[in-house]
Amino acid sequence: MKKFRKIFEKFIEGVLFSSSTITSLTVILIIVFLFREGIGLFQSSPLEKNFVITVSKQNPVQELDATQVKAIFNQDITNWSKVGGANDSIILFTTSDIATYYTEEEIGANFEFLPKKLNDFIVSHPGAIMYVSGKSLPPGFNGHKIKVKDITVSNFIFGKQWYPTSDPIPSFGIWPMIIGTLMVTLGALLFAIPLGIATAIFMAEVADIRIRNILKPVVELLSGIPSVVFGFFGLIVIVPLIQQMFHLIVGETVLAGSLVLGIMALPTIITITEDSLRTTPQALKEASLALGATRWQTLVRVVIPYAKSGISTAIILGIGRAIGETMAVLMVTGNASNIPHSFLVPTRTIPATIAAELGEAPYGGLHFKALFALGIVLFLFTIIINFTVEFIKNSKQRT
Amino acid sequence: MKKLILMALIAMMATYSQAQKVGFKIKGSDTVLPLTQKEAEVYMKKNPNTSIMVTGGGSGVGISALQSGTTDIAQSSRSLKMDEKMKLNDAGKAFKETIIAYDALAIIVNPANKVSKLTREQLEGIFTGKITNWKEVGGDDNKIVVYSRETSSGTYDFVKEHVMNKKNYATSALLMPATGAIVQSVSQTKGAIGYVGLAYIEKTVKAIEVSYDKGKTYVAPSIANAKNKTYPITRPLYYYYLTSTEKTISPYVKFILSAEGQKIVLDEGYVPLN
Amino acid sequence: MTKKRLIQRIAFITFGLISLMVVGILFAILGFIAIRGIHVVNWEFLTAMPEDGMTKGGIFPAIVGTGCLVLGSIIFAFPIGVLSGIYTNEYLKDSWLKRFIRMMTNNLAGIPSIVFGLFGMALFVNYLKFGDSIIAGSLTLGLLTLPVVIRTTEEALKSVDNTLRLGSYALGATKLQTIRRVVLPVAYPNIITGLILSIGRVSGETAPILFTVAAYFLPKLPSSLSDQVMALPYHLYVLATSGTNMEETRPMAYGTAFVLIAIVLIINTAASLLRRYLNKKVKMD
Repeated sequence: MKKFRKIFEKFIEGVLFSSSTITSLTVILIIVFLFREGIGLFQSSPLEKNFVITVSKQNPVQELDATQVKAIFNQDITNWSKVGGANDSIILFTTSDIATYYTEEEIGANFEFLPKKLNDFIVSHPGAIMYVSGKSLPPGFNGHKIKVKDITVSNFIFGKQWYPTSDPIPSFGIWPMIIGTLMVTLGALLFAIPLGIATAIFMAEVADIRIRNILKPVVELLSGIPSVVFGFFGLIVIVPLIQQMFHLIVGETVLAGSLVLGIMALPTIITITEDSLRTTPQALKEASLALGATRWQTLVRVVIPYAKSGISTAIILGIGRAIGETMAVLMVTGNASNIPHSFLVPTRTIPATIAAELGEAPYGGLHFKALFALGIVLFLFTIIINFTVEFIKNSKQRT
Repeated sequence: MKKLILMALIAMMATYSQAQKVGFKIKGSDTVLPLTQKEAEVYMKKNPNTSIMVTGGGSGVGISALQSGTTDIAQSSRSLKMDEKMKLNDAGKAFKETIIAYDALAIIVNPANKVSKLTREQLEGIFTGKITNWKEVGGDDNKIVVYSRETSSGTYDFVKEHVMNKKNYATSALLMPATGAIVQSVSQTKGAIGYVGLAYIEKTVKAIEVSYDKGKTYVAPSIANAKNKTYPITRPLYYYYLTSTEKTISPYVKFILSAEGQKIVLDEGYVPLN
Repeated sequence: MTKKRLIQRIAFITFGLISLMVVGILFAILGFIAIRGIHVVNWEFLTAMPEDGMTKGGIFPAIVGTGCLVLGSIIFAFPIGVLSGIYTNEYLKDSWLKRFIRMMTNNLAGIPSIVFGLFGMALFVNYLKFGDSIIAGSLTLGLLTLPVVIRTTEEALKSVDNTLRLGSYALGATKLQTIRRVVLPVAYPNIITGLILSIGRVSGETAPILFTVAAYFLPKLPSSLSDQVMALPYHLYVLATSGTNMEETRPMAYGTAFVLIAIVLIINTAASLLRRYLNKKVKMD
């Protein structure tokens, strides 16, 4: 009987242990799956799978970089001499253009004559640049493929253009979004830190128990309001308000995002700051008061320094809350993908981009991978934040 | 009270579970979504044995769902791309295409804006960011704010191809997650310009006339003008489905093409077929 | 009055005013939505299907959908979270393992909800081939709430006086007996209230369900775990940004926002009432 009891206890302990490993497992799985889907973006050709860019055999151009290809298809470059070829104007051709050159009968109902027609086209148009499926080119095609440089981590991070669906070459530059995300977060903190800490001090040190009992549920409630409700409120109230107050041409700005996020980060900052202020030993405070210091002096010289690490934790977790917030920001910042140079212009954040685009990005394509790569960047941001918090906690324990 | 609510819930559940005899899914373009939703609503009222699931996601998503078999109908605001056709062909899946209605894309500005007509070339300049002030196109001295749909939307592609001569949008364009948000923002912003389906037009925004012949004739977006093909920015809306499931869905498709279905098309602000 | 006292008074009054402002912000949001939303909400709004391009009818499928997701995620997260909390607080000594598990839980808590959405889509929807479904959405939401549940449990267990445990051991009880008969009965009011509060969080999340379950319009209720559902927060997002007729959709949006806020309010009130009631009961026992 006793033995059975012991085995049973061990068994339960095993069950408990395995449940406690779930969080670690999840974190690891998140890392694995983000990278699994996202890492394929790098070191791969920016062209869609199986698609090629080809030119006539006579054309001397062998290699182009992504910006040149984009400029050509954007009709900013219209002559081959600009990219090292002969003085001949460029004729753009993508598969959908086939209908303008040949009739449906000529191509065939199941595209059986398409390869031949593509060859005819390049023979009759030596100045053409073609963006077509590699499978549809016939053997002995009268042209050669153009090499396009691969996507690298650095032109992903520091690239300034985000045209994820642009044909034939998409651009995945997330620098404007990184700056946008950081600006919105910074603005939110400038608003939430003073308000949050002041409220926390008021609750912990100034207000009597009755007022505290009102404030506490208010803060809890604020943290419970869904982010999409904040976004809706921001869209209807804050955006027009900002537009009128600053006489702006658009109200969807960094500032609108910052205000909404600031409100959302408030509860985190208030709760953690208040908790840490409360941990100051009563003896310390009483000693200070006994020495003739006022409550204010005690607060500034004793309580706050003692709670310093708790307050920093609160601020950093506030950053974490703000940086990853999605729906509210998506609804109020306007999502323009240029680098914001002030708080009063529209911007685009990383989470909002993922939320807005993932639904329509074809599964497994480059755009899809790029959005997962954005997820990796966001994940790295939050991991840095979490480790900073750990570091602060640990260094406090040692002193 | 508790029991009452519970019973009401069970009763409701029961009625719904009885009704599931024929069911199919429609997925794809957000432009077609409101129309499909309304058509499905009316159709289901008339045929209580049918249940239709309608979800958005974009034209591309609908078409790839058709390929993978996770939807029965793909609704699309553009015709199949060459490679999409090839993929379906490669998989040995025969499909059918039905045009269910047309959609006219209106260029909208704030009602306070003096400008009421633009040429295609001017629109290209505005959307690519080469023209940045309304006074360059005959308006007040006011900065232009471009509102567009998200990059992955079919409408974004359509405008790029048929209005902007395939050039890229200005990076300063504000990308809105949905069409309703564009209407909302244009109505609030004095210098704004955006594009929306005719169905989305409201009194709070002004639709402008456009010219595709370098300013000789300007045409206002309207159902009549789209019908007689004088309004240039018009596109067909498609249903794509596999011939293998045609039997299940053809009553529904027939309903849309019927006079009653086409009346709903008109009521919802789209352009009927005839 | 001395200068010191004056400074103190000014500082404290400022802090008081700022706190008042925070309360003001909350009431501005609640008030705004309540005033515009309350007259939309009636029995029909809560129990009817959306009609006429979502300008009429109600939000019944979205309510049911959110209900399914909440239920699904708590069935997954509550047992695992509570067990995990018990293990880390009661079984683990202060060791690297405990620190590691704590750290991972904190890390998980700090991951943005949109990343959970990406993860849920990659693992549940695509890799495990659940498709867009209640099961995929519930599991994603469940993982998101897990750290909250664990923390709540740990906090509740920590607040149990250690002398109770020692007393139980002294009487010859085993660890499991002590936890079951002594620790949990004292801690459970706080655990339960914490769990209820986390329901509020689950019901309001949008980003994790965008790509795992949420549907734009579904005229029927879900009949199995592999169905998609509409959900309240996503429905509000749709109403706020889409729709062919913004003016007529707006009241529906206010109504939906009001329902969302009402759910949070009800849950918060219920939690604090329950805490009071259970604590009283525990003391009486």
